[in-house]
Amino acid sequence: MKKPAKTHKIKMMEAQLATKLNRQVVGSLVGCVHCGMCNDCCHYVLSHPDDPKMTPSYKADQVRKLFKANHDWTGSVFPWWVGADKAALTDDDLEELKDIAFGTCTNCRRCTINCPMGVDTATLNRLMRGLLTNVGVMPEGVRVVSKDQWELGNQMGVLKEDYIDTLEWMSEELEEDLGHGEAEIPIDKAGAKIMYAINPREVKYDPRTIKEAALIFWAAGEDWTMPTEGWDNTNFGLFSGDDGLGGASAKREYDKARELGVDKIVISECGHGYRSTRHEGVNWSGDAEPFPMESSVMTMLRYIKEGKIVVDPSKNSQRVTFHDSCNNARSCGFYEEPRELLRLVTTDFQEMYPNRAEGFCCTGGGGAMSMSEYTPRRLKSGEIKANQIRATGAEVVVTSCHNCVDGLGDVIKHYELGCEVKQLVDLVANALVLEECAVMKGRPATAAAPEAPAPTAEVEEAAAPVVAVEAPLAGRKILVVDDEEDIRTFLVTVFEDAGAEVMEASDGDECIEKAKTYKPDIISLDLSMPGKSGVDAFVELRKTAETESIPVCVVTGHPEFRQVIYDRPVPPPEGYLNKPVDEDKLVAYVAHIVETKEEKAN
Amino acid sequence: MVERTIGDKRLKMVRGDITDMEVEAFVFDITEDAKLGSGFGGAIQQRGGIVIQKELDEVGSVPTGEAVVTQAGILKADYIIHVNGPKFREEDEKGKLERAVTSALARAEEKGVKQIAFPPIGTGMYQVPLGLCADVMVETISRHLANGSDLDEVLIVVQDPREITPFEAKFKEGA
Repeated sequence: MKKPAKTHKIKMMEAQLATKLNRQVVGSLVGCVHCGMCNDCCHYVLSHPDDPKMTPSYKADQVRKLFKANHDWTGSVFPWWVGADKAALTDDDLEELKDIAFGTCTNCRRCTINCPMGVDTATLNRLMRGLLTNVGVMPEGVRVVSKDQWELGNQMGVLKEDYIDTLEWMSEELEEDLGHGEAEIPIDKAGAKIMYAINPREVKYDPRTIKEAALIFWAAGEDWTMPTEGWDNTNFGLFSGDDGLGGASAKREYDKARELGVDKIVISECGHGYRSTRHEGVNWSGDAEPFPMESSVMTMLRYIKEGKIVVDPSKNSQRVTFHDSCNNARSCGFYEEPRELLRLVTTDFQEMYPNRAEGFCCTGGGGAMSMSEYTPRRLKSGEIKANQIRATGAEVVVTSCHNCVDGLGDVIKHYELGCEVKQLVDLVANALVLEECAVMKGRPATAAAPEAPAPTAEVEEAAAPVVAVEAPLAGRKILVVDDEEDIRTFLVTVFEDAGAEVMEASDGDECIEKAKTYKPDIISLDLSMPGKSGVDAFVELRKTAETESIPVCVVTGHPEFRQVIYDRPVPPPEGYLNKPVDEDKLVAYVAHIVETKEEKAN
Repeated sequence: MVERTIGDKRLKMVRGDITDMEVEAFVFDITEDAKLGSGFGGAIQQRGGIVIQKELDEVGSVPTGEAVVTQAGILKADYIIHVNGPKFREEDEKGKLERAVTSALARAEEKGVKQIAFPPIGTGMYQVPLGLCADVMVETISRHLANGSDLDEVLIVVQDPREITPFEAKFKEGA
C-alpha cells in the first residue's frame, strides 16, 4: 500500500527535531536496548500492567522513529527493524502522539533510575511534547495555560491588578493577626536583598501561603520584596516542551530581579518552579549572568540555623510524612534539606517508602492537572502513591511543591485516605515563636508587637464599652449550591453566622433559576451534582446576561473543577476552595471576593 | 520608547498591557472559531465583560488573514479589532501576517478611528518568528500610513526585552 505524503505539520516537526539534537538527546535516542528494566519504575505501567503502550520505551520510541527516519543511518539501511518506516506521516498520527506524550507520562523521570544505558525517557517525552506544541497539537488545557503564560506572564491568567490586590489583602490579614502593620508585603522595593517569586496557584487559590511566607520573612528581619512582574516562578515551557516559552518566562523573572537590584531570587515551594527557575530557565533563556537563586525551603532552614527565626516543633504534633516532588528530588537532587527542616518543625515524622530519588509521582507531573481529559487515567496511576501514603499512617502529607499539593489532594480524596496536604511554609509559620525571632530583638520579651503607648484616662474611658464587631458578611446575599443536604446546611450555617442572608439550591437548574431571581452577591457552587452539573451551570451563569457578573466561589471535593479553570470555556471562577472547607477561610475568602467585586465596580 | 514619523503620522513602539491601554482601538490575534480563549483573550473577557464574546459568537468565525470589529465592553478602548494571524508554523506565514495587518488597518479606517494599537502578532504561543513579525508589521504599517491613511497614530505594544529588541532594530533601520 502506498504511503501517504508527509503533511506540512510533519515536515515542520522534522525540521524542529533537527534543531534539538544535542548530545543528551541523541544519547537517549540511540541508547535504548528495550531491556524492560524501566517498566517496574513507572507508575503508569504498575497501574496498567496489561497495557504495553504504558511502557517508557514504547513512549520514547515514538520520537525515536522520527529520529531514525530522518537522522540515523539505521533508519536508511533497515527502516523496518528500527521502526523508521512507521514514523508519523499524517495529522491523525499526531493526535495519537499527543495522547501518548501528554496522557501517559508525567515526565517524573523515575524510569531513568534503573536504566543500564542511561536513557532519560522524560527528556524524549518532553521533546515530543515540544515538537507537537510547535505545530499546535496539544490538549486544550495545555493551550490555555501556555497562552496565559505567554501573554499575561503567568500560567493561571492572573491579572496584574488581581495579583497586587491579593498581596495587599494578605498584608491586611497579617495586620489583623499581629495587631500592627510592620509585616506588610513590600511590593517592587528597589534594592531589597531578596525577590520572592511564587506560583500563581498561591494568588488564585491559596493566598494563605503568601501570608505565611511574609510572616516568616518579617520574623527573620529580612529585607525582601515581591515583584509586580516576573513573579511567576513556574514555567509551563518545562511541561509543554516549548523551550521558547521556557526562555521567555525565565527571562522575565531574571530581568525583574535585575531591575529591582536584588541580591537573590527566593523561589516559593514549587518543584516545577524551582527546576525551571533555578536550573532549566538559565539554559532556555541563554542568560549569561544568572542570579543566586534558592528554594524557600533553604531560606527557612537557614533562618532557623542562623537563629533568625525560632520554632517550636510541638506546635505541629500530628504524624507527618514527606512526599518528594519529582522535579525537586530526582531532577535537582534536593532531598535532605526539606527533611532537615521538617524534623525541626514537627515532632512525629514518618518517612514514606520508597523515597528520595525512588519516590513515586503524585500524578501532578508539573502540569498534568491542566488536562482534564486524562483525569481518570491519572487517578488510576495514583494507586501506588495512595498505598505509600496509607502505609505511613500519617495525618499530614508534607510536600514542597504546589503541583504535588493538588496531585496528592486528588489521590487522597480518590482513595479516601483521610489525610491532608501541607507545605513546609505552613508548618514553619505555625511553629514560629515570634517573641524569640530576630525581628523582636531589643523589644520587650513578652510583646510580639511594638509596645503601644500607655492608655490615657480618656482613652480607657472611651474604650470601656464593648463595641460590637460587624459580621464579615453582614448585608450580603449568598446562594449556596450543593446537592448534599448536610454540606448545604453546614455552608448555610457558616454564612448566616457571618451575617449573610442565604438562599439554597440543590442542583444546576435550580442554581440558574435562583441566581436570576435572587441576584446574590456571590454563589458558592459545588461542581459534582446530579442533573445539570456544576460545570454546566457555571458556564451557563457566565453566558447569561443577568448572571454573568455574579462572582462564583467553587467549593468542591473533586478534580473536575479544573475543567472550568484550565479548559476555560468562559472566564474562570473568582474563587476555589477544596472540601472539607475551613470555616474561617471560607468566610474570609468569600468576603474578600465580594469586596473586590464592589471595588472594581466602583 | 521608539518612534517613526511618516509624514504627519506616527508609528510608535511602547511597552505595556495592550488590553488595559487607553487607545481608540487595539488588535487581538483571534483563532478561526472566534473564541477569545485565554491569554489576552482572558484579560479581555475579565476586564471587558461577556458582551465582547457574545458579539463574536454572532460573527461565528474569522478566516485567516481577515479581521472583524467588536465593541470593547468596559475596557478603556472603544473597539477591538480581532484579526486571525498565522498560527503554528503554517504555510506562507509572511503572506498571511501581511494580510492580517492590512485587514486590521482597513477595519480601523472603516471605523474612523485615529489611533490603533497592535501586539506583535503571533510571536508567542503561535510561534511566528519575532524577526519576521517585526519586518512585516513595521513595513506594512509604514506603507499604509504613507498612502493616504486617516489614522494619526499606530502603536506596537511590546511586553518584554525579547520583543523589544527586534522591533527596536527594525524601527532604527528606517530612521
